[in-house]
Amino acid sequence: MSSRRPVVYPDTTAPLRERTREALADDALAANLRAAGASWGAARARIASENPFAQMRDRAREIRRGDVRDLPELLDRLEERVRAAGGVVTRAADADAACRYITDLAAARGARLVAKSKSMATEEIKLNEAIEESGLRVVETDLGEWILQLAGQHPSHIVAPAVPLNKEQVRQVLMAESGWELPSDREALVAHARTRLREVFASADIGISGVNFGVAETGTICVVENEGNARLVTALPRIHVAVMGMERVVRDWDEAAHILQILPMAAIGDDAAGYVNLITGPRAPGEADGPEELHLVIVDGGRSALLGTDLEEALDCIRCGACLYSCPMWRSVGGQAYGSPYSGPIGSVLTPLLEGMEGERSSELPFMSSLCGSCHDACPVGIPLHDLLVRVRARVTTAAHRRDRARFRLWSLAWSSPAAYRASVLLARMGLRLAGRRGWARRLPGPGAEWTSQRDLPTRWPPTPPR
Amino acid sequence: MAADTAALSEGILAALARRRATGAVVRASEAAAAAVARAGEWGVARSLLVDDPVLDELAIGPGLALGADGHELLVWPDGRGRGWRELLGLEGPERTMGVTVPRLGVAERGTLVLETGPGHGRSIDVVSTYHLAILPASRLRATLAEALVETYARDGRAPSAVSLVSAPSRTSDIEKISTLGAHGAKGLHVLVVADR
Repeated sequence: MSSRRPVVYPDTTAPLRERTREALADDALAANLRAAGASWGAARARIASENPFAQMRDRAREIRRGDVRDLPELLDRLEERVRAAGGVVTRAADADAACRYITDLAAARGARLVAKSKSMATEEIKLNEAIEESGLRVVETDLGEWILQLAGQHPSHIVAPAVPLNKEQVRQVLMAESGWELPSDREALVAHARTRLREVFASADIGISGVNFGVAETGTICVVENEGNARLVTALPRIHVAVMGMERVVRDWDEAAHILQILPMAAIGDDAAGYVNLITGPRAPGEADGPEELHLVIVDGGRSALLGTDLEEALDCIRCGACLYSCPMWRSVGGQAYGSPYSGPIGSVLTPLLEGMEGERSSELPFMSSLCGSCHDACPVGIPLHDLLVRVRARVTTAAHRRDRARFRLWSLAWSSPAAYRASVLLARMGLRLAGRRGWARRLPGPGAEWTSQRDLPTRWPPTPPR
Repeated sequence: MAADTAALSEGILAALARRRATGAVVRASEAAAAAVARAGEWGVARSLLVDDPVLDELAIGPGLALGADGHELLVWPDGRGRGWRELLGLEGPERTMGVTVPRLGVAERGTLVLETGPGHGRSIDVVSTYHLAILPASRLRATLAEALVETYARDGRAPSAVSLVSAPSRTSDIEKISTLGAHGAKGLHVLVVADR
């Protein structure tokens, strides 16, 4: 059975403040994040200067808004066309239902080894844990994901999962896996991983992939990648299981072509991904490769509850990861401090919506933002993430937030009367005079303590120049 | 070659070059020699070919067999009989080449549209160490939207798999520095056949 590997971060039992403090103290992490952010920024700026990015973004937003508005109809069409092409479609209401379907299928087919290509949806439903608990071996084949799996960590970034580890750390992880001595050379490490993972492709019974989007018009699943592992995972094993968040549908090939271009622009600063795998049903008669069975698992997991609400735009997301790189919070602490599969601004919006507002992460993450709006600027489908963050904040209801709200209500009530306003100002002025010395208050009691723990407060205007 | 085809040919090669793929525009009579030269440069001992009339017409297979001593030719789907371990390079020759004939090419983005069928295995280019694509210039389209709409507009069942290939296999998962040959082909070379 599965032996649980140690998880470095996230330690989800530690409050967010602890996790971020730990991340901020990690100099190697800071250097890796800085390098990753800089290289993304340069590539993204170049691609935006070579293409009419603003117009492309407007069109992408129009496409995604329309798709999400018509989601029920498009999902039905996708399902019908996938079935017509010989695929099996299942709709899973939640993570448990999705995992159960896949582990039951694996058991029914006598599978032993599962090869996976990168998928955030499977991170979200914790599929690897479920597969290991059912007694099977599951191997991530995206290089970054594999390294993280071996290190017992979770992805830090939607697109570039292994960013927090440097070359030496990667070398240590790969040497521990194989027991071989490896040179400290990037190309040699990649070549080593290639050989090790080819053993997995050659013998896996089931390949599991994510889905960047389904094309309703023809029932086609799109899997976008750069390494080639997603093709091997979807072409070699006897069974292919594709796991898709229910909102990831586009209407037709004209829309698909547009999203396929803007996605790599936003994600990696390139105008095409290395490989896009377009899969319509299982292997056709007369073909000598491709899976004999194709299963599409469409996961709701809290998404349908957002349709028609003022948070619906969170479903427009195409998972490019641009808002992460652009976010000053994410660039400072990395994705693992968020403690959720989705990090950065979109993670701070999605996590509470998908996990429910009661959890600790849900009450903390929406506040991990300065609302600077750089995420909105970076988003290739123009999601107003800063607005969504505010709307999600408004729904958070822990005891602390209830107390805050009560205080603000009291304050607002008091200041809605001119007499009470004047009285409060007078009182504050007198209090400050009493608390201050030589024109400055250095330590205030009660609610003022938070302010003076960081800075002094002048007790008269204009302030006395500090000595 | 018509002026617009020439521009499209240059376009696809320029876009591919930005992603570290290589290529050239050749005449039909030169294609076999160019394929042999490429196989020599990569040092491959075996080629896995799609079964396609374009390769027959250009005599790519016979060219490779004659041009390089001891060069082994496998043609899909018979080649599939070797089993995945050998096709993946875990057994047998270390360096291999997959030879494909894309259904279409996209000039604007530098993209090959590989369509699966009985003679066109979907894994040929990624199981091999290197990928050589033979693209008749008449199959070039300006935009991705044009190419995809055309690919899926036909009557009947859509192709079971279509692979868009725009680069050699690459990864940036170690220190964000792009490294070639992660899982698929380490090199991609495209021969655009001007008069086909």
